[in-house]
Amino acid sequence: MTRDRIRRSLRGLAALLAAVGLAAPGAAYAQGGPIKIGLLVPLTGPLATPGRDMVDGFNLFWEQARHTAGGRKVEIVVADTTCNPDQAITQARRMVHQEKVHFMVGPLCGHEGPAVAQVSKETGVPLLMDTAGADTVTKWDRTPTVVRTAVSASQIGHPWGEYMYKELGLRNVTFIGQDYTWGHEVTLGAVKTFTALGGKVAKIIWNPIGTKDYGPTIAAIPAESDGVSAVVVGVDRVRLFEAWFNFGMDKKKKIYGGYWMHQDALPQMDERAIGLIGNSLHYAAGLDTPENKAFTEAFATKHKRLPSWFAESAYTTGLWSKTAVDSIQGKIEDRAAFLNAMRTAQIKAPRGPLRMDGYDNPVQNVYISKIQKIKHPVLGEVMTNVPIKTYPAVSQFWTWTPEEFLKQGPYKR
Amino acid sequence: MGRVGIGLALAAFAVALTLPQFAGPFWMGLVTQMLIFGLLALSVDLLLGQTGLFSLCHASFFAVAAYTTAILQVRYAVPTLLAAPAGLVAGTLLALGFGLAVRTRGVYFILITIALGYIVWGVLHRWSSFTGGDNGVTNVPFPAVGELRIGSHTEYYYFVLAVVIACALVYRVLIASPFGLSLRGIKASETRTRSLGYRTGLHLYAAFVLSGLLASLAGVLYVYYNRFVNPVSASFPISVEATLMAIIGGSGTIAGPFIGSGIILGLRNWVSSFFELYATVMGVVFIATVLWAPDGIVGLVNRLRAARARRKAL
Repeated sequence: MTRDRIRRSLRGLAALLAAVGLAAPGAAYAQGGPIKIGLLVPLTGPLATPGRDMVDGFNLFWEQARHTAGGRKVEIVVADTTCNPDQAITQARRMVHQEKVHFMVGPLCGHEGPAVAQVSKETGVPLLMDTAGADTVTKWDRTPTVVRTAVSASQIGHPWGEYMYKELGLRNVTFIGQDYTWGHEVTLGAVKTFTALGGKVAKIIWNPIGTKDYGPTIAAIPAESDGVSAVVVGVDRVRLFEAWFNFGMDKKKKIYGGYWMHQDALPQMDERAIGLIGNSLHYAAGLDTPENKAFTEAFATKHKRLPSWFAESAYTTGLWSKTAVDSIQGKIEDRAAFLNAMRTAQIKAPRGPLRMDGYDNPVQNVYISKIQKIKHPVLGEVMTNVPIKTYPAVSQFWTWTPEEFLKQGPYKR
Repeated sequence: MGRVGIGLALAAFAVALTLPQFAGPFWMGLVTQMLIFGLLALSVDLLLGQTGLFSLCHASFFAVAAYTTAILQVRYAVPTLLAAPAGLVAGTLLALGFGLAVRTRGVYFILITIALGYIVWGVLHRWSSFTGGDNGVTNVPFPAVGELRIGSHTEYYYFVLAVVIACALVYRVLIASPFGLSLRGIKASETRTRSLGYRTGLHLYAAFVLSGLLASLAGVLYVYYNRFVNPVSASFPISVEATLMAIIGGSGTIAGPFIGSGIILGLRNWVSSFFELYATVMGVVFIATVLWAPDGIVGLVNRLRAARARRKAL
């Protein structure tokens, strides 16, 4: 990072010298000057690990693309949002006013999303929302300058409810959900499709982020429920995992992860995880496509680990924005053209084919995945999410029409 | 305030007035934020520095005022002239209720205020049909009164600066008044003040409510600056941070909380842009303050000046 700064200052100095020496080609320089991208992620705080994954994924893409798009150089400025909306707003304003970025990418934390969208709205600088998942950003509270490149929370919840009913044959499920917007929307999305098919909800147990003890949660699972669905984030993923096995629940009940055993948490879990259904998600590192193989191998070579969905998402955002910038020949100053290119591009990402729906949210595959040990060409034996069922081209509105869905209103506990 | 103090204040005022001439929009925004959080820290310090009560629920008044104003403006299209005072009233009403906590002292007071603060945070977080939950309330417009409207962050900066100066002046009158003197009497020894015939409980209650009013004012200024509010603004860390600002800058002074707010927000927002381990810098600053400047920056400066004066006298 420091080296980047030095390099940037040197480049600035060079530009200054050039301007002093040759005043005439100044205009040409402005035309072909670098494209600046502001990446807003938490590098400290509770979600620092996924934040780091995003930076790594994003940088990997631009290194592969040799830091060029549309014939212009690309510069990346990273800011730490600390997962706090106040800090996110201030940093976004710094990106726009101080760093003069052409567009922003981020933020990660759900509640930072609307905050950064606010800055995009007041300044007109486009925001590629990645990976904050608040449903409302691409549904009830849209901003013309904001497009999402990751996923809406309930988009992964809907297929999960159907999968539990149809494929797992569950009829009476206990839902463990994380008590904040993302957790509500993923969990209640699954509850919605599960009950629509005739499934019964035994109980929904909400836990705030950072719950220390999952004992009470496990004790509260009704005896008659035939399965447990888990939607947990951050360090809670490991705590629930440990508590589940420590209480000997693995011998009594079946637990399934709707949003649980992500790649970044797997190293903290052990072989007991193998065979469990870990996630219903738009990405699984064990996905067997040429795009994903190339991506995971490059990522593993560089970072000695498999990418989480955060890393893939940031990588794909890089790919998506480069595709858009290429298609407008690098004229990033034309914001409307850039946003339009983002909205119409067709992407072959590591996670599968992508395109925007009419509401600025990607239509994409959702994978139900199982934790398995695989032989990785770079890392050797490693645990990962391997897809066992694919829901192709899932829309954020699932099977409803946008109008119907919007009329229902947001998922709220 | 001595002659040097007045000189410093005038110099600071001159810098504040001309700041937009040489500072970009990012810096204007950051300085506005510093002023607003300085005001919140000042409200905390009305209790901490003057009466010795350590309150950890001031984020509640701040947030309730901010939410009230935001919801009225955004959802009910109430004009600023009504929405902003409504925010002040809501925050102050809450302070009237929470003020009953002054029946306790010491660690019990701290615990009760923490609990009250968590209740407000919980309500804002959970009552999502009304407060918007985690997503909060977005799209708060700039304040406008009739034809007069604030159109940029620079104009808003001047507005905040004017309000802050007015507050500082009123605060100065308040702590110099007999009421302020009795508060400091309570801080020094409550039993003695009571035995002199003061109704100390009532004094503390009044100080608590005034402090709540000031925190609400900061909340209303904040929501028009941020144009967005979510439950984080009511969270425990905000209360703690406001207290830290007062302590680092210098508790019991007027300039102190603003200096503290400048240091903390400056470190977090500016240092973080070029130094990844900025949190460590903040930690070092906190430790250094506790070790070498327990009375904060203002206390340190006063001590150095006193030492120099003594050397001169010798």
